[in-house]
Amino acid sequence: MASVLTGALADGKVFEGSTTLLPQSCQLVIFGGPGDLSWRKLLPAIYNLSVDGVLPSHFAVTAFGVPSEGTTDADPDQYIRERARSGIGRFSRQALDEAHWENFARSLFFVQGSFNDMRAYKQLKARLESLDQQFGIPGSRVYYLAVPPGLVGQCVEHLRAAEMICSPGDTAAFTRVIVEKPIGRDLESAREVNRVVGAAFAESQTYRIDHYLGKETVQNLLVLRFANSIFEPLWNAKCIDHVQITVAEEEGLAQYDAGTGEVIATRAGYYEGVGALRDMVQNHMLQVLCVMAMEPPWSLAPEVVRDAKVGVLNCLRPFATADVDANVVRGQYIEGDVHGQRVPGYRKEVRESFEAMGRELPRSSVHSTTETFLALKLYIDNWRWAGVPFYLRTGKRLPKRVSEVAIQFKYVPQILFNSNPDMQLEPTVLSVRVQPEEGLAMRIASKLPGPKIRIYPVKMEFNYASGFGGKSPEAYERLLLDVMAGDATLFMRRDQVETAWQFVTPILDRWEKAGVRDLPEYQCGTWGPVEANRLIEPDGRVWRSL
Amino acid sequence: MTTPSPFAPSGSVPIPLREVESELARQVSAQHAAREHPVQLARMSNLVIFCDQREQAESLAAEVSKVVAIHPARVLLLLGEADAQDAAVSSAALVRSRHNGTAVDAVSELIALHAAGPAVARLPFAVRALLVGDLPINLWWASNQPPPFAGALLFDLAENAQQIIYDSRGWLDPTRAVAATSHWLDAFARALPGGRWRVASDINWRRLKAWRRLLAQALDPTTPGGAAATTTELLLEHGPHAVIQAWELVAWLTRRLGWTVKAGKVEPGIEIRWAFEAPHGTVSVRIRRLADVPSEIRQVRLQCHVDGRPATLAFRPLHATRLELNAEGVEAAPRTLSVQPVALAELVGRQLSDRERDPVFTESMTTAQTLAQSLLK
Repeated sequence: MASVLTGALADGKVFEGSTTLLPQSCQLVIFGGPGDLSWRKLLPAIYNLSVDGVLPSHFAVTAFGVPSEGTTDADPDQYIRERARSGIGRFSRQALDEAHWENFARSLFFVQGSFNDMRAYKQLKARLESLDQQFGIPGSRVYYLAVPPGLVGQCVEHLRAAEMICSPGDTAAFTRVIVEKPIGRDLESAREVNRVVGAAFAESQTYRIDHYLGKETVQNLLVLRFANSIFEPLWNAKCIDHVQITVAEEEGLAQYDAGTGEVIATRAGYYEGVGALRDMVQNHMLQVLCVMAMEPPWSLAPEVVRDAKVGVLNCLRPFATADVDANVVRGQYIEGDVHGQRVPGYRKEVRESFEAMGRELPRSSVHSTTETFLALKLYIDNWRWAGVPFYLRTGKRLPKRVSEVAIQFKYVPQILFNSNPDMQLEPTVLSVRVQPEEGLAMRIASKLPGPKIRIYPVKMEFNYASGFGGKSPEAYERLLLDVMAGDATLFMRRDQVETAWQFVTPILDRWEKAGVRDLPEYQCGTWGPVEANRLIEPDGRVWRSL
Repeated sequence: MTTPSPFAPSGSVPIPLREVESELARQVSAQHAAREHPVQLARMSNLVIFCDQREQAESLAAEVSKVVAIHPARVLLLLGEADAQDAAVSSAALVRSRHNGTAVDAVSELIALHAAGPAVARLPFAVRALLVGDLPINLWWASNQPPPFAGALLFDLAENAQQIIYDSRGWLDPTRAVAATSHWLDAFARALPGGRWRVASDINWRRLKAWRRLLAQALDPTTPGGAAATTTELLLEHGPHAVIQAWELVAWLTRRLGWTVKAGKVEPGIEIRWAFEAPHGTVSVRIRRLADVPSEIRQVRLQCHVDGRPATLAFRPLHATRLELNAEGVEAAPRTLSVQPVALAELVGRQLSDRERDPVFTESMTTAQTLAQSLLK
């Protein structure tokens, strides 16, 4: 169980009579502070925490990095404040409040510098120490590495060289590091990232973030299973026919200017060559699978919960070469239609994106075989899940943005109301919606009013926003608070990451050996290639209609 | 050709496609705020309606509230003007409420989608994004074009539909349409992969319900009098656009009675004649069109013998609420059968939850196809 730090006790920041940890005084240092993740997610999340009054009383945020414009001649602090203001204005859960903003902006700073420049770290260190004095912070730091995976090692090594990391045993102050996914691009590189980070930070100081785990409904899966008496007895191979986990995105790689049609933002630099398996399945989807399928932990202590999750990964049936061909389908989008707009295919988007970035298109990307869609069938070989298939499906440029976990219960016997072999009754389904509208739904069979017995599926729904009122906190809000509080429950442990990579490695190996020239295609705005249906339909099942 | 203006039903808010869901949520919230009663968003299925004429779309938009009063649904009303100049997909959203006599007011969603020219083919993309997951999908093909001739658009719109509802009333070229429909029904309803199933339902068949009941009662072989076994002539008269309705009734009746078609002849717009081989001899069957009468079956006349005496059984609508059977040439009191007057919206509303395959309909359509082939020879 995570220990409550002396510093926190000294600050009186633990609920009386409760073991719930509260965020502790610290400075949050965002590497890549001017970048996209910071602009869209992190700065709005911190603003919301500030509005909600849950940040520590002694707290400041320092962004570190190089502005996208290359340099800022004006007041650097003013630069990041303006950037934050625009991000909050566009992406924040709560509208920007002028009075609150002024107060918030006073704790927002920027140190301009390159991640490979030791002098910049010295400047950063000096500025942080000065802000410690100003804000009464005891030297505690949370370093958020919102940087491409290739730069993680560089940042960590410079932090260590600049003596900016406290020992994990330090009782006066703490240092924690948040590492963004993806952790590596295969098992070997993930181990290398973990090794580099591990050389500078203890595992107890390391928080590998997967923002899906911070979403209310993912956490609610645990509550659903272990705080209700009706579900857990059914949560096994006896009652469950199969499980479908879907993460569908309507976005592609690039965003286009509506007027000129030019690329205004793109993820091609990151995504091309990475693909859906690495971007979605290895981390988000397997993590959600763990929460859905894990054994009941004996306590909610972080290590106990994380042990239970790793237990699921350890039971995943490994793929042999032939299994990959039979159980994994990948695809790539071609020109189609999303929200009434004609959108280009993946290869064209990549080409246009590299042009817009002023970079030469790598030769390997000319006929890119990066998968933008992936469907796979897997099994968890343990007592609970023996024989239950788990179907995972993710893709870009699908008809709508939706993420959910759906548990389909077994069909009732083909007698009584289900006796017509041509028209089986729809089975009971419990679906947990992760986004966009977090909630739960249960589809059950019901009798239609009238003299005849006619059965019709009805859906009972619970929507978080309308049920509890207001908007749920964003995942990043919860996760940032947890790091400040020292609670690692919702973060990936080193062995979790590596075991997940171990599972997907045979797929990557098989693909590399197969060396295909083209992937199955699907039009933008459709639910993936037809090959995906061939993965599930021979089992007598279908992809859910979402 | 001029570019058609976007279609937005009365009261709806024109909105970019991407913002339809948020606009619907906003309107539902506004209903919550504006009403004393609690408000419930009611939807038992997705109802996708496709039509290709603007006037028809406007009339359907008005009918939709009656449909969802019977079967609450999220309605996607599609207008695809294929013959007009290209116009990209546009959308409009409307949340309507109705007080249904309980403590909770129900609200339902209507989304209108419009496209013209080549952009009509893009409507299925918009539909996929707007369907509510986990609810049955019904496609109401309200176009006058028979489904077998609709091609890729229907195929795409129906990709996950459990039921396609169409109305054969008003189809042009009925002989070809009927000939193709039976094949299409067979292909459409064939068992789908993964345990899925679907049905196709003709509203015209539902309109015949009372006719079939009265005819069945009068001609049942166990009924005294033996009319069915002595029939020599059958005449059906119908109003404009109701020829297929009459055709379906002939197909049903002749199949039930075990008659086999021998030959057929058509005088387009006037009369269709068939010769049938029945166990008791040849039967002449005619479908005759009447002008200036409602678009429905107006009369069924059967020449036969009742208790050994020549008679004519005349079935006809009596007012809007009854069907009457008069036995001419014999002494018998007229018999009547109550019929609920059923508007199109009500027929569709009831059909939405009636998802069972109707083998009698399928068989009758097979016979209807045989009848069509006899005319095409």
